[in-house]
Amino acid sequence: MSEKKHRVSRRQFLNYTLTGVGGFMAAGILMPMARFALDPILKGEAGAELVPVAQVKDITTEPQRFDFKVKVKDAWYESEEPKSAWVYKDDKGEIVALSPICKHLGCTVNWNADKAHPNQFFCPCHYGRYTKDGTNVPGTPPMHPLDRYEYKVKDGKLYLGKAKPRGEA
Amino acid sequence: MKWTANDVDMYEKERQYIDTAVIPLIPLTLSEGAKAAVSGGEFVQLLTSEIERQLKGRLFLLPPFAYFTAEEQSARTERLNDWTSQLKESGLHHVFYVTGDRAWKEYEPDLLGELFLLPVVPFEHMDEAYKRQIVHDQTSKLLNAFISRWT
Ligand code: FES
Repeated sequence: MSEKKHRVSRRQFLNYTLTGVGGFMAAGILMPMARFALDPILKGEAGAELVPVAQVKDITTEPQRFDFKVKVKDAWYESEEPKSAWVYKDDKGEIVALSPICKHLGCTVNWNADKAHPNQFFCPCHYGRYTKDGTNVPGTPPMHPLDRYEYKVKDGKLYLGKAKPRGEA
Repeated sequence: MKWTANDVDMYEKERQYIDTAVIPLIPLTLSEGAKAAVSGGEFVQLLTSEIERQLKGRLFLLPPFAYFTAEEQSARTERLNDWTSQLKESGLHHVFYVTGDRAWKEYEPDLLGELFLLPVVPFEHMDEAYKRQIVHDQTSKLLNAFISRWT
């Protein structure tokens, strides 16, 4: 084996690397398009991704907490952020998915946790309260109703997207 | 809240609602027992950050209070009490320490804040599901302990 045979000339080297980069770029452009074409239902209105959270058959008229994860990118790195939702079916049988983040200062609210006020969401931090549909109870610190997740149902599964202030959702 | 610029903005605006400091107590050593000390510390940081997520509107999770295990316990206690008095003077009336280091137990009566001692969990030989269950259970225990101190 002579050394010569294995030497890559400068031109060849450039060729390799350029195809390499070009190939990457093409893949980068094609892949998101392919995904979008295959799964349009998994995109919410804002273009945010929806993630599977629960089986529809498990949802009752009593709010239950479901935990899930979403990918987030901030200035420093990409990570998975744990999230949760309080999910139930209302009187009309429609699914309601509420964000558990208190509109006062952001603690996590719980369903039915305060014995003095049953069937409400309760915030342990400064005793904020919300009725079952997420409306803030006047006289407690929160000034706004709980956010609602945008959602879709597909193949018996509940998918959640972004939580939005009520009125916008 | 966490010790970040963003959260400090909120602290400055909403001071009257934030009355609790949480300090993880993390032992350091590079000699024998290093691994146990590290994993105990990791567990504490995992739990305290989850609790911060759920109770962020009322508590401030501070950077850990770290100490070499070789440091005299009395010196350590004094340092920690000094942190605690500074925090209390700034209006954080509840100061909660969270640790896996049993050495603190004996000195509990000397401490100005409240000690929450986590059990030592041998995570190494556990499967994922069981681990998650333990983290979940311990988190909700600690959460309830904090909340009950508030009322
Ligand atoms: S954060 Fe919920 S009442 Fe203040």
